[in-house]
Order: sequence, then structure tokens, then C-alpha cells
Amino acid sequence: MHKLLETILIGISTGSIYALMSIALVLVWRSTRVVNFAQAGQAVLSTYIGFEIASRTEIFWLGLAFAIAAGALLGAGVDYFFMRVLFKHAVSGAAAVVAPVIATLGLLGLIRGVVGLIWGGEFKSIKAPASTDGFTIGETTIPFSALNLLVIGTVFSILIVLAIVFQRTNLGLSLRASAYAPEIAQLAGIKTARVRTIGWAIAGGVGGVAGMLVTSNNFLSPYSLDLLLVFGFIAAVIGGLESMVGSVVGALLLGITLTFILNYVGTSLVFIGGFVVLILVLLVKPDGIMAKGRARRA
Amino acid sequence: MELWRKAGLAVRKKVAFFILIGWALLLIGDRVDELRVYQGAQIAMYTIALASIVLLTGYSGQVSLGNGAMMAVGGYAAALTLNNLGSPVWFAFLMAIVASALFGAFLGTAAARLSGPYLAGTTLALAVGLPEIANQFAFLGGVPGLLFDVGFPPARFGEEFSQYKWFFWIASFIALLALFITSNILQSRYGRTWRAIRSSPLAAELSGINSSRMKILAFTISSALAGLAGAVMAMTISLVAPGAYTLTLSFALVTGAVLAGVSSLPGVVFGALILVAIPEIADVVANRFGGGENLNNYLPSLIVSVLLILSVIFTPNGPGEKLRRHHHKKST
Amino acid sequence: MIRKTRRKGTWLAATVLAVGSLFATSLPAYAETGVTSTEIKLGITLPLTGAASPGYNKIGNAMNAYFKYVNDNGGVYGRKVTLIQKNDEYSPQLSIAKTNELVLKDKVFALVGPLGTANYTSVHKSVGIAKRGIPSLFLNTGFSGFGNKKSYPTSFMVLPSYAMEAKIIAQFLKENHAGKKLGIVYQNDEFGIDGMGAFKAAGTKFDVSVAYTSGTQSAATAQTWVSQLAAGGAQVVVFFGVTSATAPLLAVAAGAKYAPQWILGSVGADPLTLRALGVPLAVLNGAQTPAGNPSPNDTSDEYVKQFQEVNAKYNAGTAFDDYVLQGMNIALMTVQGLRAAGSNPTRKKLISAMETKGSSFASVAYSPLGFSKTSNVGHTGYYMAVMDANGDRKPFGGKVKLYTTDSGSGPVVVSTFKRPAMPAKGLPSNS
Repeated sequence: MHKLLETILIGISTGSIYALMSIALVLVWRSTRVVNFAQAGQAVLSTYIGFEIASRTEIFWLGLAFAIAAGALLGAGVDYFFMRVLFKHAVSGAAAVVAPVIATLGLLGLIRGVVGLIWGGEFKSIKAPASTDGFTIGETTIPFSALNLLVIGTVFSILIVLAIVFQRTNLGLSLRASAYAPEIAQLAGIKTARVRTIGWAIAGGVGGVAGMLVTSNNFLSPYSLDLLLVFGFIAAVIGGLESMVGSVVGALLLGITLTFILNYVGTSLVFIGGFVVLILVLLVKPDGIMAKGRARRA
Repeated sequence: MELWRKAGLAVRKKVAFFILIGWALLLIGDRVDELRVYQGAQIAMYTIALASIVLLTGYSGQVSLGNGAMMAVGGYAAALTLNNLGSPVWFAFLMAIVASALFGAFLGTAAARLSGPYLAGTTLALAVGLPEIANQFAFLGGVPGLLFDVGFPPARFGEEFSQYKWFFWIASFIALLALFITSNILQSRYGRTWRAIRSSPLAAELSGINSSRMKILAFTISSALAGLAGAVMAMTISLVAPGAYTLTLSFALVTGAVLAGVSSLPGVVFGALILVAIPEIADVVANRFGGGENLNNYLPSLIVSVLLILSVIFTPNGPGEKLRRHHHKKST
Repeated sequence: MIRKTRRKGTWLAATVLAVGSLFATSLPAYAETGVTSTEIKLGITLPLTGAASPGYNKIGNAMNAYFKYVNDNGGVYGRKVTLIQKNDEYSPQLSIAKTNELVLKDKVFALVGPLGTANYTSVHKSVGIAKRGIPSLFLNTGFSGFGNKKSYPTSFMVLPSYAMEAKIIAQFLKENHAGKKLGIVYQNDEFGIDGMGAFKAAGTKFDVSVAYTSGTQSAATAQTWVSQLAAGGAQVVVFFGVTSATAPLLAVAAGAKYAPQWILGSVGADPLTLRALGVPLAVLNGAQTPAGNPSPNDTSDEYVKQFQEVNAKYNAGTAFDDYVLQGMNIALMTVQGLRAAGSNPTRKKLISAMETKGSSFASVAYSPLGFSKTSNVGHTGYYMAVMDANGDRKPFGGKVKLYTTDSGSGPVVVSTFKRPAMPAKGLPSNS
């Protein structure tokens, strides 16, 4: 009973970080029809910047703020300088299918290489903003700590903020309109290109938060966020790439499932477990679990 | 009648061409030093692996990030066959093809309804997850992996005939054979059908093509090729281990295919060359700039990434296409 | 028609290009592999980056620092010793690729200190170390299998084997922790299994046994290890793994308020590295560990003092810890080996010199060396040490009590071996 409770709690905690990454991916997908594999690179660079600030000032939250800012700037920069050039050139032939995927993969490698050149491969660690001691219930200590709670709290706050922005503000309306029907949005006077860049900036900032949160309990290295990208992506696909709520649900589901496998089966089957979950969902509901028969625009 | 004879002639010409290349490689193998011979074996291996991507992505339009995992299936199948059944080497390679083809058929069936990012995501998950299975089951050797020993070259070649030269001969032979067969497949009705599916799925369906079946076929053959490449890789490093088939490998394969022209089969030789050459070039560049630790470790992947981005933006269909278009313009 | 010709043209062009480049870049062969009149080239593969790199990535630079010191003082019979480092990220497949580069491209004279059990096993087979007659000195791994002269004719260990270490820990458990509940966490490959086999043979019964797969160590997986250990009530926990696994284990245990008596295997126990990875001093205080060398902070030891001076001068910016000490010691022994091979060294002469004179080389470790014509075994013993509240290491019981044994069924004995004195100024003059 005990183990079940801790498994679910830890699962939610890990899943919520995946949720951040998957939201970032879905945001970009909806606005640009591109899966941004470089998200991991952007996030890791933002996290290194956050790490520099946090280790100098000893204040995690300051580092987090800088990471968000860096992530947003990076996201906007990638969209403005990179994506526009890409779409201007590579649109025909056999590579049209492949080009955006390859381009973002290449960008990931580029950013990672630059990070490695500057900071090297040595593991770095950020001091966590909350204690990692497990909570004590009665006389037993469960592995769920204040830090885990903080992570969940932070993620859900961000989700609420994003939800408000998207549903209640003009900016949110523009973002949704530009993603759903760009030509019509333009006719309605929305500067879709600028709005798209803002979308990328938000995604980048969210990725920065994900990176900082993950690193607070793990080591930082140029490769440390790759796994986050994979799981974030799987979560987004499970939830259906069109829906942000879906990707959050998918992420939590994935987090809990993976933690179950970790605790009850064994560490080596975790990755293949992720694959199996993905295949199962896609076989049963190819458009993701949140797709209510909505037309899927390829 | 006339058509058949003409077709016959073309095929005969191709056979002669491949035999000529084989002969040239044989001579080369005798002249260059061991390092180059070893790299030659690696180039042959990558050629086969890249051919699998050309078929799957360039022709049938399915983006897969999981060919590295398929190579793993082939490599492990070959190693298990060789070590546990005591079979001859060629049989181990055959089992690699069979196992990965079966796996590819299975994956293709599951993936037939997927496209674009959904397919990419699934194959990504596969690429990350599959090699890790080796860690769970002891008979797969865990992290250190299984040894893959094809034995020493036959004694009649003499003492001087090194192990790596032997690998080079075997790898080149297999590569030539595989490329020959693949080239025929791509130039046949199947190749045309795949291209039709890729460029216009709706029109293809309307003209009576069973897209799902053709897509699954593409996956199967592509996986078979990848599995064969995996077995060849196992031979060259005498090892199958999860660390040899990482996500990085899948990325590198896609990179090489794009750099060479994702829909051009001849380009795979060029792509393979680049994949083997880049670490060398990066080494030289890094050493010239002082050879700091960070530089040495991260420069190769940086160069690859930059090259990749440049080529995808400016020559998305490979440098061959740009040249061809230029040629076209000139001749009109 | 036109398309076919063009396609064939592309085939031809591509192949010519491939073949031409193979030709054009063939390197000329050296007169004698890795040795010229001015230089001896050595090679090492080790994890400079990646999950297993914390701590171990310092070894290469430490070796280089010492070689530079020797080079500045006449080198080896006038030749400079150069060490080429290649990063294999602890992955066996990369070790093979990098060793191929060292052997085929850089054409090194010998390999020195290649790191990793699985890595060296793969390399030895794949690159054909024995068949090529390449000397492989002072392997940075303790897998007892490498001590087998028949299977590894040109390789020489330096660390006591994991089997030896396990036997010594087993003895220590019997003498000092009898009757307590025992737990063990070990890396699930030849490294950990080597130790486990020896524990079994010594009759040690573990109440909780946790295996982890190399590469999966993290805070999340450490959580499961600690849960199992705590659930089993283990009071004394032995750890047989790499430093990047020790760190999350200790950190997570502290967070879960689980504080058994830790016995950290020598591979993953450097206090400085652990602290850099975030393990608080309070957790390390009292942890016991088998050690072969004096503490790297013990400047009353002549070896440590000399090495610290070399480090300050030639490796400035790197803190002097266990790994730097280890690296410099290997380099010291390598220079002695090269000298013993004579002023016109060949690979065969180096191997022969190691076999006949190696056992008398000066080394910082307290235990005797076991090199001979029939044995590749390096050092053969450990003493038990305790970490204190300053993150330093002191001998258990106040004085060094050296145990020696073998990798087989031989007994564990207390030894009174006195190690050779350090050569003057740390510069060997043997022949």
C-alpha cells in the first residue's frame, strides 16, 4: 500500500516535468507544424545560464527567472532566424517530409555542441530550492520530498497561467487563431508571423523551467535533457499533438507508468516501457487520447 | 521479346559495373594501410545502413528515427546465432536479415496508420528503448554485450593478411550485393509505386495501390537492410553491445542520408564516406586549435550538426540534385 | 535512358571519390611503432565525459603532468614520453573505436592505464591486443580475469583485483561487523560480479542484494535501491560501483534518513569527487573503505609530497585527490617500465622487462606487486580506512593494517611488507 502511494506520488512529480516539455512541443507544433527536437538543446542552454546565476547568487529562483528569460529569447531567436530561413528554402521534393525534422535535430546537435565547448562535459549540480528529505509519516519515511511537492506546485501554477493566457487574453486568442486558421487570422488583422514567434518564445521559456526543475534533483551535462525530450515527445503524442490538456494528461500517465515499471519491474525496462505505452495508445487511438474524432490536420 | 532483351542488357551492364567496382576494391585493399582498410569496412557498413534509409524515407516517404534499433536487432540476431548455434558466418548474417525483416514487418504494421511526427515519435521511442532491453536479459550480454568472432582469415591467405582486411573483404562484398539488389528493387515497379505513395497518397490510392501494404513492405525491406548493416558492424568491432546502437547512431544515419540526398541510392557511398570522415576531420581541426579537451569532445558533433543544417536548408535533396538541376539548365 | 546513364555516372563518381580518398590519405609507416629517436608515444582510453567520468577524467591529465616533469628532466634515455588521451565515455564500443585509432592511426608504442572492465575486455578481443603484441600496462580496472597470463599475455594490472578487495572486505566484516544485517549494492557487470563471486566464496551472506545496470544510476533509481535496503533492515551496506552511482545512493539515503554503516568499494569512494557531486560531508563521515594508497592529503608521505609538487607545477588548477594520485603513480611506474626496457626499447623488451623487473618497481601503494613471467597481477592488498568529518581518510584503528591475498582461494593475511622508497626527486633511475 505504501509502495503504491509513493509510486503514484513520484510518478506525478516526474510526469509533471514531462508535461512542461510536452506543452512546449505542442505549442510549437500547433503554431508551426514542426516538432522542435531542438527544444532539448534550448532547454539545456537555458538551464546552464540558470545554473551560472544560481550558483553565483545561491538563489535558485533567480536562476530560474534567468533560465525562463534565456529560454524565451532563444525560442524567439530560433523561430525568427532559423525557421523562416528553413521554410523559405526547403519545401519541395523528397526532403519536404524530412527537412524540418532533420533541421531541428541538427540545431539540437549544434546547441549541444556549443554548450559542450563552453562548459565542458563535467557534471554540474544546482542546489535544490527545497529539501530532498522524504516526508515522514508516523515512523516511516517515504521517498516523496518537499522538492517533489515544489515541482508539482510550480508546474501546475505554470499550467494555470498558460491556461489563463490562452483562454482569457487577446494574445491567447491570437495564438490559437493563428495556429488553427492562419490565413483567416491574417485577414482578421493578426500579425501571424509575430504571434508565432511569441508562441516559440513561450515554449522556450517553459522548456527552461523544465530544465531547471529536472536539474534540481539530477546532474547537468550537455546530454542530460535528451531523455526529457524523448519522454516529453512521447507524452505529447499520447495526448494527441493538438491538445495541451491532452499532453499534460499524457505526461502524467507516462510518468506514473514509468515509475511503476521502475519500482515493480526493473530499471532496464523503463525505456521500452515508454515505447510500449506509446504503441498501445497509438494503436487504440491513433490521434491521441484526447482526440474526440476531431479532424487531424497533417 | 525486344524489351526483355533490352532489360537483360541493362541488368547485365549493371552486374558488370558492380563486379568492376568489387575488383577495384580488392586491389585497393592490398595497397592501403590497415587503418584505411578498417575504415573501408566501416564505409561499407554505413553504405548498407544508409541504403535502408533511402528506401524508407527517400522512396516511401516514411520518416523513421529508429534504424539504429533495427541495426541492433540484426546485430544481436547474428551474434546469438553465431555464438549459440555454432553456425557458419554467412548463416548468422542471413539470420540477421530474417530477424530484422520480421521485426520491421511488425513495426511497419503498427506504424502503417501513422505519419509525420507520430511516426517519428514512435520510431524515436523505439530507438531509445530497444537497445536497453539487452540490459535486462542476461543472455543478451548486458552492457558489455556479446562478443562476435568471425574467426581469422583463411590460412591460405598467409600470415600478413590482417583481420581488418578480411573484414573489409566481407563487408565490401556484402555491401555490393546489397546495393545491387536494392538498386534493382528501387528501379522496379515497387520503387515507382513507393514514390507515387510518397508524393501523392490520395492519387496513389485512387489508382488502386494498396498504400498500407506497400508501406509495410518498405519497412520490412528497409529493416532487413538495416539489420544486415548491424551484423556487419558487429563483425567489424567484434562486439554487439547496447552502446553501439544508440539514438546518436539513428540520428547519424538520417544525417548521412540527407547529406547525400535522401532519395538517391548512389549517394549513399558519398554519405557513408562523410560519416566516417567527419571524426577524422574534426580531430585535425581540433588539434590545430590547441586540442583543448572540450574541443576534442564536442567539435565532431558540432561539425556534423552545422553541415546537416546547411545541407538541409540549401540542398535538401542532396548536393546531387543541385548539380542535376544546374546540368538541366545548361542543356536547355 | 538519360537517367540511367546519369545514375551510373553518379555511382562511378561516388566510388572514385571514396577510393581516391582512401589512397590519398594513407599514412606512412613508422620505423618502429611508437618510438622515434626523440619520442615514445603512449595511449590511454578513459571516460572524459559522460556518466562514469566524475573523478576518472582526471587520471589522464595527471599522468601527462608527471610525464612532462620527467621530460623536463631528461625524459627516458633522452626521449620525451607523450600520452595521447582518447575519450570513450565508458562505452565499450567507443573504447574499441578509439583504441583502433591509437593503434592504427597514432601508432602508439603501448597502451597505459586503459579504464573499464567491459571496455578492456572488448578492446582486447576486437583490436587483437595480444595478437599484435601491444603492451598494455597498468590497467585501470580490477577485474581478476585480466590476471590470467594465458588469456592476456601482454597486459599488466596495477590495482588489486575486485576479488581480492571483496575477500578483504569479507575478512573485515567478520572481524568488525559480525552478527549485523548486511546489504550490498553492486554494478551488474563483470566489475560487480567479480566481487560478488569472491564474497560468496568467502561465505559472506548478504541479507539484501541490489544490482544496478551501468548507466542507469540516478536519483530516481537510487530511490529504489534505498527502499530495498531499508526494507531489508541492512545495518552495514557494501557498495561496489562507480562514483557517479555512489553519489545518488548516499544523497538519497540521507534524504530518506537511512544511515547504515557504509563500506564503499575503492572504485567509487573518493571523498573530494563525491562532495563535488553534492554528497554532504556529514554523510561521508564514518564511511569505511578499503584503500591501497595513503590519503592524498598526507604530506608526511614522501610519494604524496612529491606528487603534490609535480601537480602544483604541471597540472595547476586541478585539486590533488585520489585520482590524481593514482594517475601520477601509474605514470611513475610506466617510466620505470620504459627505462627497464633499455635504451632501444621494443614492445617485446618492454613486456619482458615488466615480467622480470616489474615486481620491484617503486609505487605509492602499500602492498607488493605480483608481476612475473606467469602472472599479470599488480598490487595485492588493501588496508581499511575511515572517512572523517573533514572529508579526509584515516586508517581504521589508527594505524595502517595491510591485508594481502590473491584472486583465488588463498587466505587473507596481515602483511608486514615495506614498499620501496620513492626515487630521488620522484625521477626513476632504474634500468
